[in-house]
Amino acid sequence: MSKIELRGVSKAYGATLALRRGDLSIDAGEVHVLIGSNGSGKSTLCKILAGSVRPDGGEILIDGKPVTITGPRSARDHGIGIFYQELSLAGHRTVSENICLSDMPVTRAGFVDRDALEARAARYVALFASVAGDGFSADTTVENLRADQRQLVEIMKALATEAPVIIFDEPTSALDRAQVDRFFEILRDLKAEGRSIIFISHRMDEIFAIGDRVTVIRDGETVGTERIADTNPAAVIRLMVGTQDELAPTNGAPHATAVARTFVLTLQNLSGKGFANVSFEVAKGEILGFGGLHGQGQSSVLRAIFGVNPVASGEIVLGGKTYAASNPREAIRRGLAYVSGDRGRDGVISGRPILENVTPIHYLRQKLRLARPAALADRVRPALEALHTKFGGLGHPINSLSGGNQQKIVIARWLIDRPDVLLLDDPTKGIDLSAKTDLFALIRKLAAEGMGIVLYSSEDAELLNNADRILVFNGGSVRRELTGADRTRYNLYQAAYEAA
Amino acid sequence: MTDATLPTTRPGGLKRLVERYPFLPALVIALVLLALNGFYQPRSVSFIGITGLTKTYLALMMLAIAQTYVVYAGDIDLSAGAIVSLVNVVIVVMMEKMGGSGFSVVAALGLGLATGLACGIVNGVVVAALRLQAIVATFATSIFFTGLALYVMPVAGTPAPAAFWRTYGGRFFEIPFVFYAVVVLAIMLYVLARTRLSTQLLAVGDDAQAAFQSGLPVTRIRIQGYALCGLFAALAAFCVTGDTASGDPLVGGKMTLFSVAAVVLGGSALSGGYGTVIGSIIGALIIGLINSLVFFVGTPSEWQNLVQGLAILLALMAGILVGRRARA
Ligand SMILES: Nc1ncnc2c1ncn2[C@@H]1O[C@H](COP(=O)(O)OP(=O)(O)OP(=O)(O)O)[C@@H](O)[C@H]1O
Ligand SMILES: [Mg+2]
Repeated sequence: MSKIELRGVSKAYGATLALRRGDLSIDAGEVHVLIGSNGSGKSTLCKILAGSVRPDGGEILIDGKPVTITGPRSARDHGIGIFYQELSLAGHRTVSENICLSDMPVTRAGFVDRDALEARAARYVALFASVAGDGFSADTTVENLRADQRQLVEIMKALATEAPVIIFDEPTSALDRAQVDRFFEILRDLKAEGRSIIFISHRMDEIFAIGDRVTVIRDGETVGTERIADTNPAAVIRLMVGTQDELAPTNGAPHATAVARTFVLTLQNLSGKGFANVSFEVAKGEILGFGGLHGQGQSSVLRAIFGVNPVASGEIVLGGKTYAASNPREAIRRGLAYVSGDRGRDGVISGRPILENVTPIHYLRQKLRLARPAALADRVRPALEALHTKFGGLGHPINSLSGGNQQKIVIARWLIDRPDVLLLDDPTKGIDLSAKTDLFALIRKLAAEGMGIVLYSSEDAELLNNADRILVFNGGSVRRELTGADRTRYNLYQAAYEAA
Repeated sequence: MTDATLPTTRPGGLKRLVERYPFLPALVIALVLLALNGFYQPRSVSFIGITGLTKTYLALMMLAIAQTYVVYAGDIDLSAGAIVSLVNVVIVVMMEKMGGSGFSVVAALGLGLATGLACGIVNGVVVAALRLQAIVATFATSIFFTGLALYVMPVAGTPAPAAFWRTYGGRFFEIPFVFYAVVVLAIMLYVLARTRLSTQLLAVGDDAQAAFQSGLPVTRIRIQGYALCGLFAALAAFCVTGDTASGDPLVGGKMTLFSVAAVVLGGSALSGGYGTVIGSIIGALIIGLINSLVFFVGTPSEWQNLVQGLAILLALMAGILVGRRARA
């Protein structure tokens, strides 16, 4: 009998179906790996099990008995502990307090028993003493720790639950080799005690090093479970990809302009925070795709080119001239454009009218100081119409629009004065399908008119369907270039999941 | 003297110190203000002067403490002053109705605490359970509480019985009563700081989602924070009553934002998760010292508000600068 079983668990966030049909069965004393591409629903499934997300449907059985998990506390009572992918730490509290936060020991008088608390925390801190690195101690406040050290604290916190079932949702993403090795030793000890582990990672080598079985989730649906001993990375990737490879790339003739490829943007061994030795060139009329798992340096490169993040070394050539990316103003003057999917942070001027949201680049490029609103409106309307933007009036605040339409406004900003190079940083995050279609049609048109375009997308289908070439990022550098018929989902996944 | 000859000022050491005791910048400012007070009016730093200052500002200190517990959790209570008013009129009316005897005082204080607690719980339920925005919701309840206070005592002026304010202003064994109150308060705060609730409130303020995911009962914790706030607002009302010796349904209104200012002056973050009660007490003291300093330097009365405001602004900036320098 399985320790835990999930049957047809589902969860929707508004219109997003995060988990369609999650099935999972975990035995006692096994490390069960969950794998699936970004956004496939792994974390959602884990959170349902851990009680922090209520499922819309489905069944959960523990030791064969159906249970209802009403909240994180109830999950704990059912013997489930969890490491959260996005961590669940209180930044201003100490390591010890964080480890014991969910049930702090109290004395008989009702006060926090500091001695017991510190003794309990010390046990878990000691487990990682050899690999935690400088500045790590039980009384450090968490906000003063490095990313990997915070991740260790979250691991300790999960271990401190001493639960029979512990979920680790991407616990190794910031850890170094030695830390991962130590963590795996601990996992093996837990296994020997008969505890069950759910382990999520995007690193194929880790999965094969620690897993007993692997369950693959694709688009919110469990598509299969295999014994690690009986499978291999290629088979797992095929399961993740499914039959979607039949959806061959659909765009017209890539490299149609290849005859006279003039490069508008060239990078030579560019390095900076989060990426190293990135080199590529973008030709006029080309759409160059950036692929790979989230956070492998794609955004960092784009933001460095646009002068948002500093460049440590390497060279950027823009329109034949070297260019020192110093700040976005300079980048805009030099004919670069940058559209981010993180509208809140990078795009929308919140609370201001649509007109003001479309025109700032126009002001900068034309060195305008004063302008007649009516004249501006005449320039703005065509740009908005090209994108099929739905809006009440140019004077309406931008916040009155849906996410997709807000994104169109942000893009329209760049269309009044055409840039030479358009950098797209996951531009379709949170926008609907028809808006996406409009957007990609427009991007293709801009390319055809001679713009060089770099497109980073976290959705593989978008890349496969729209990019002429794809650079697959892994661990901050380009692992592989996919061109022509090589641009398949299988190749994309393989390069992305390869050991970095 | 060059920097090289100062081996002891390790920046890391100062940083650690301020991190551990976020109220240190406030303490420095308070001491500077105290010195300035003494410079302009030597008598103000005498025993009698300090007693008077404590007597007048004990209420604000209490209310700053009250505010701190909700700010810990990232909430705010804009009704704190209204609770003070309500408790003030409730106890004055109660003592008057019962004849002003010693027993009536004790009974009235009990009722006052209950009133404060009830108001706090109402706030907590509205904010944490019904999930209304803390600023707006407590602004609304403040109007409601003020309405209640006006119902209990439509016009200001009912005097508190002598037994009450004589005690508050009096001395026992040559030591002013307010100092006993301060000692009791210190013990209470020490006890509270060691309960689980303080840490839980701070954890909720740090990241409510993370706290929830860690299995903390976030709603209950936030309600408890507001309840504690209500209790301390009631204590503040006792001090106000002792100081003014009368009932006034609007007495606390202007104290609300002073309590928030005191919390910020004391180094706590309004976004929650970071702060100390001691800091808020010092913050209240700073406001008191600024007010008396403005008076002692002989500011013309029509300028006093303006100068007070500027001085508080300066103190805030100084606190932030010192804090940032130390933490950088
Ligand atoms: N709180 C939320 N509100 C709205 N949508 C959400 C929320 N959480 C997740 N989603 C969406 O649900 C889908 C599944 O997300 P989930 O976090 O489970 O993916 P995942 O498999 O863990 O991906 P990753 O490998 O990137 O961690 C995604 O499309 C995501 O955008
Ligand atoms: Mg996830």
